[in-house]
Amino acid sequence: MTIVKTTWLAAALLASTALPVLAQTRAETLRHVTGAAINTLDPNIPGSTREAFGLSLLTYDRLLSFGKKQLDGKWVFDLDSFKPELAESYTVSPDGLKITFALRKDAKFHDGTPVTAEDVKWSLDRAVTANVLGKGQLLTGSLTSADQFKIVDAHTFEVTLPKPDKLALANLAVVYPVIFNSKLAKSKATAEDPWALAWLKENTAGSGAYIIESFKPGETTILRRNPDWNRGSAEKPASFKRIITQTIPEAATRANLVEKGDADIAIDLQATDAADLEKKGKLKVISTPQYNSITFVSFNNQMPPFDKLEVRKAIAAALPYDDMFKAALFGRGAPLYGATWADGKAPTGATFPIPQPLKTDLADAKKLLTAAGFPDGFSTTFSFNVGQAGTAEPMAALLKESLAKVGIKVEIQKLPDAQMSTLINEKKVPFFTEGIVAWLPSMDYFYRNFYIGPIRWNYASLDDAKITEWAQAARFEPDAAKYAALGKELNTRHFELMPQIPLWQPSQDAVMASSIDGYVYQFHRQIDFRDLSRK
Amino acid sequence: MSQLSITAKRAGWRFASSLPALFGVLVFTFLLMRVLPGDPAVFFASGPSAGKEEIEMIRKQMGLDKPVPEQLVRYLGDIGSGNLGRSLTTGQPVLADLKSRLPASLELTFSALLIALVTAIPLGVAAALRQGSGIDHLVRFICALGVCVPTFVSGLLLIYAFYYLLGIAPDPTGRVDIFTSQPPLVTGFLMIDFALARDWEGWRAAASQLVLPAFTMALFVVAPLARITRAAMLASLGSDFVRTARSLGLPPRKVIVTYALRNAILPVLTIAGIVFSTMLGANVLVEKVFSWPGVASYALDALLASDYAPVQGFVLLMASIFVIVNLTVDVLYGIADPRVSVE
Repeated sequence: MTIVKTTWLAAALLASTALPVLAQTRAETLRHVTGAAINTLDPNIPGSTREAFGLSLLTYDRLLSFGKKQLDGKWVFDLDSFKPELAESYTVSPDGLKITFALRKDAKFHDGTPVTAEDVKWSLDRAVTANVLGKGQLLTGSLTSADQFKIVDAHTFEVTLPKPDKLALANLAVVYPVIFNSKLAKSKATAEDPWALAWLKENTAGSGAYIIESFKPGETTILRRNPDWNRGSAEKPASFKRIITQTIPEAATRANLVEKGDADIAIDLQATDAADLEKKGKLKVISTPQYNSITFVSFNNQMPPFDKLEVRKAIAAALPYDDMFKAALFGRGAPLYGATWADGKAPTGATFPIPQPLKTDLADAKKLLTAAGFPDGFSTTFSFNVGQAGTAEPMAALLKESLAKVGIKVEIQKLPDAQMSTLINEKKVPFFTEGIVAWLPSMDYFYRNFYIGPIRWNYASLDDAKITEWAQAARFEPDAAKYAALGKELNTRHFELMPQIPLWQPSQDAVMASSIDGYVYQFHRQIDFRDLSRK
Repeated sequence: MSQLSITAKRAGWRFASSLPALFGVLVFTFLLMRVLPGDPAVFFASGPSAGKEEIEMIRKQMGLDKPVPEQLVRYLGDIGSGNLGRSLTTGQPVLADLKSRLPASLELTFSALLIALVTAIPLGVAAALRQGSGIDHLVRFICALGVCVPTFVSGLLLIYAFYYLLGIAPDPTGRVDIFTSQPPLVTGFLMIDFALARDWEGWRAAASQLVLPAFTMALFVVAPLARITRAAMLASLGSDFVRTARSLGLPPRKVIVTYALRNAILPVLTIAGIVFSTMLGANVLVEKVFSWPGVASYALDALLASDYAPVQGFVLLMASIFVIVNLTVDVLYGIADPRVSVE
């Protein structure tokens, strides 16, 4: 009896003392809810999810990270400015072929060993040599071989380029070229696995702002702040002591949790929920058009009838743009239609995507179809993947209705994600919708990666000699004016050929407690928690 | 003693005879997964820079570059050595995933079944005793309601009412409040582990987290259980031995509970066994709605991603559980009605 009593007493005492502690940690803890799962601790592993990319930005440092800029009053990452992370500073030689990094002398890995040029060399060698995702990405910045990386001394590191490449520095700031604790990683490597891929998948060997406290794939990941990390603003460690990322598959539940104040931030709510929460006004809702992404209607340009320019133009003239934008996204995003191009030429060439001079004109569509030899229209299928059903379904229904008016009969095909990827990879889908994202959204990057060659991301299967030539030339064009001129040609040609129809850039709706400050839209469309703080 | 040995022998024989079926399930699932459209390698190589090379790399990693018969032989060999492969969705070995997630599903299903039985049997008995009365109609109404409202609807409704509007229920995410520290892992059943750790605060947190999903699932299966109880009770109330017992002037309570209900319990047991196995697989929607880290939602995610290993592992697990449940029902039969175990 006494024992029972004392346990109760102890429990009561514990509870009473635990409460204030709990309340305090709650304020220093950030609870993030998401629909997807983190499946690896090393972003380089094939199959990594976007959430895994987000995590690696917190646990690992890179040489540099992107700066930020304002776009219509919202903070977004800036492709052209860099913040030092492990590199204190860098210099580019006048011919643009040599980049020299001066490394911080006070940076330490989580286990206390100092970060040296040797670690940087090992990590970058790994990114371009091992069977990792970094390999494919870094070659877009002319980083392809271990010979390009040189240790000058313990805190000086040199990268040489075969040609001056605008995206070389930017590529060193994306999620793949993370700097590993090479001594630790090497001690876990084996003869079959010299780059410790297996071990790093489940362990971290980084110097980042946060340390993994617990990692349950598909459930929760809990991070603890690294107090020694001083790469934040004003050379301070990150603001939150703990970060909990929790996987909650049901979007409505995520919205409820944020609204009730049980969760602090979510970025992947349904557009309706985000709009609703914004209207209620209790929470902070930051909607940033994803300026590095495009949602489009695409055709396989090699497949009849979409190999005919008039057919593509006819469909572009028959789409109910405004209705689709409202039905799919509740108007949350930036439209890429409805522009006016004075002389039929693109107004700018420095950037892509830009709004296209497209509007719904059924009479024109009918005329174009007749010119193409289909006065009575034709039948086709329109595909989208189940994962995008929320936005693609209403959009497809409106598209079907509108195209029927000009005689094109559309059968809607909803495919499981894996099946859709397979068919797209095999170039077997005639007419569909997809979304693309470019981490490094420069004009030439879009054209090189989405409009050239037999690769999967060339959704339209476009094969146009001029686009190929100009895009490749733009890549290495050092002169800004000449670059913009090439871009103007490309943008104009894109409109003339209409290989696919850019529709809009959807918004990233970040919904957070009103006390959260510092949100910046990032290239990988995840939250960089190092930016955030509580007022 | 002889009763026990007969039961044991029976159970052993039953188990042995279900092995070929398990093997069949294994091969069938394997082939089915490979017939389904969609190439997992392409799906997983969907990073911004993934090209042909990455796809080949993943294909090799999954062993998909080999001919199907060779894959099957390798797969069977792996199963023999207890290796269920690796999930690409979570990045973990399938066996570890299932091991950590099965207790969550079992805990939820057991609780739901318990709630369902505790509600359904009295309801069924009451309906049978007052056949055609208001109570009977009310029970029928409740049953119809339970069956026709899909679990995700009732789940979301319960969340909306008890969490969002009233604020009584804890946030409907996972097995325990995220700020409560987990008990040391012993059985994987949180209620038991918290009790073993004498952490009653945590036990309460876990229990309150369990209430809504368990009720959601129970609601769905009350109907078959209550209906079967009612029918079996009606049959046994109309039988000779009940009439005899009544005419002997035994107290009504004894007649109903000892004579009628004990005889009516056999079909209920059978249905409960079936209900349990189906619940375990079919509660995927409940697991999704309540972010419950169970096996069913795990298998669904894997299926959508054409992630072969977890789906195969899940089906194998379900088949094994089905065998075990049938075995248990068999044994319980013998206890409820000794005549059954006489060969």
